[in-house]
Amino acid sequence: MSIWFALSPILVLAVGALGLMMADAFSKSRSDLALGSFITFLSAGLFAVALWIMGGVPAETAKLVAPWIILDKFTLFFEATLCLGGAISSLLAGGYLPEHDLDRGEFYALMLLSAIGALLLAAAGEILALFIGLETMSLGVYAMTAFRRTNPRSAEGALKYFLLGSFAAALLLYGGALLYGATGTTSLTGIRDALTSGQFGSLRDPSRLPMVVLSMVFILVGLAFKVSAVPFHMWTPDAYQGAPTPATAFMSVVVKGAALATMMRVMLVAFGDKGSASWASGWPPVVAGLAIATMVVANLIAIRQENVKRMLAYSSIAHAGYLLVGLVASWGSGNPQVAAEGRAALLFYILQYTVTQAGAFGALILCGSRGREAVSYEDLAGLGRRHPAAALPFAVFCVSLAGIPPTAGFFGKLYIFRAAIEGGFTGLAVIGLLNSALSVYYYLRVLVYLYMREPAPGAPQAIPMRSGYVTAALVLAGVLLLYFGLLPGRSLEMALSAAKSLI
Amino acid sequence: MIPIPAFLVLAAILFTIGTVGFLVRRNVLVALMSIELMLNAINLTFVAFNRAYPNEHTGQTTSFFVIAIAAAEAAVGLAIVLSFFRLRKTVRSDSADLLKN
Repeated sequence: MSIWFALSPILVLAVGALGLMMADAFSKSRSDLALGSFITFLSAGLFAVALWIMGGVPAETAKLVAPWIILDKFTLFFEATLCLGGAISSLLAGGYLPEHDLDRGEFYALMLLSAIGALLLAAAGEILALFIGLETMSLGVYAMTAFRRTNPRSAEGALKYFLLGSFAAALLLYGGALLYGATGTTSLTGIRDALTSGQFGSLRDPSRLPMVVLSMVFILVGLAFKVSAVPFHMWTPDAYQGAPTPATAFMSVVVKGAALATMMRVMLVAFGDKGSASWASGWPPVVAGLAIATMVVANLIAIRQENVKRMLAYSSIAHAGYLLVGLVASWGSGNPQVAAEGRAALLFYILQYTVTQAGAFGALILCGSRGREAVSYEDLAGLGRRHPAAALPFAVFCVSLAGIPPTAGFFGKLYIFRAAIEGGFTGLAVIGLLNSALSVYYYLRVLVYLYMREPAPGAPQAIPMRSGYVTAALVLAGVLLLYFGLLPGRSLEMALSAAKSLI
Repeated sequence: MIPIPAFLVLAAILFTIGTVGFLVRRNVLVALMSIELMLNAINLTFVAFNRAYPNEHTGQTTSFFVIAIAAAEAAVGLAIVLSFFRLRKTVRSDSADLLKN
């Protein structure tokens, strides 16, 4: 197999991004750029699916770019998932940007370029490639957050996101530098070998162990910023609220998914072996603590929100908590069978979360036309009676976010909590379940306002927008949501096969 | 020859200055400079460690890439600071207080 074909998902995105920039410069109308961006994402995703169907990238081809880029089924799974999230976000942008007077073509190019970084991050098997992917992804997203140029909230959200994001990236890279010093290599598998066997002679020397622990702390903190785990979540609600909503959808699914992919690689490949030196495998309790803090804090704050977009931002932080539960379960206490099932549960969760969360932001976009946006719960009052077609998707995606059967969200949570119990983290699973029950309150509150409240007389009412792009995105997300919910078997099988390729 | 740990200690000090500067100072431009300082401390760490592993040039090549990325980051960062300044007429991060719970 040619290496070009093996790398095709990333290359297609790159060609598409450059092509869209040219099209933006030479065309008069901008309405087709969203379609172009959607097609680029779709074809990149289809290339990943094609590679998967052909049985993955053969080892001798994958060796050409190893250890910088790892081309296993795990990478292909993430490439397809991230492209799916990007495709939905670009359709949403096609409806949102013209409606809110932001119709400038560079948004799509930024989204595609940022997605290249996300795919590279998910495929990175080496510290430098990881950092390049992380920064490529983040720089595009910072610019997208600041896209509403006349809006001070947008600039403020972007400023906070940029400062904390680059600070976190610097911490992560310092961790990588210390790890390089301790082990003599920057490839993740090389680091694992050094930590388990001491073949570099370094870990026989106990003076280097503090350096390994310190570097792990730095890397963990840097990645926790990116997946927005408490207490490193301060930027999240502000950036999510300030950004244009399609950019928020992109951030909450693509950026989070890619960051979680690299977190899995770093934690499970480089530090995952139980036999590795000293504290190098002592991270599961720490991540479990992060997961508990993330779920509890995010859910408690989400309950108190009056702004729906901010509520969805906190909900996305809470979901980062469930994802971290899955990460702990993926460690599986060193038992490969339990670990594989935990990883599969986590991958399935990311897949359904991509569809559900992007769809929820899409439903929020649909509920507000220019100047009549759905900002608070009050604005949504009575929408179910006045505009049933606009209210229905919001209700469906909220039910799935809450994890009520038979939606995809239910199976995602079921598999994750089951994996946590099998991995010996029963307490963590119980806390996750309680939090999940708590979150039902604020998701169902959306439904209550949609269907059971009437707007106060004279109060501003949201008016749904009309857009073929947004409708298409919601139909796509809704169909996939039902597919993952009613027939989870096939996708779970794929997740398991991807999970087993992570070594 | 200057021993490797001397470089590492210098890098650690620079990194600490950058971290403290980022956390303490309220001027966004100073925060940006602190991040650059941290990245340069990281470069120094990579290059210094490379002397301990002379067979490959991983540390040195890494630092080149980090320099390029730092430049891109500064470009995007200054653009964001500029757009914030244009709307709010200040570059102090404690005046970024529109978004609250």
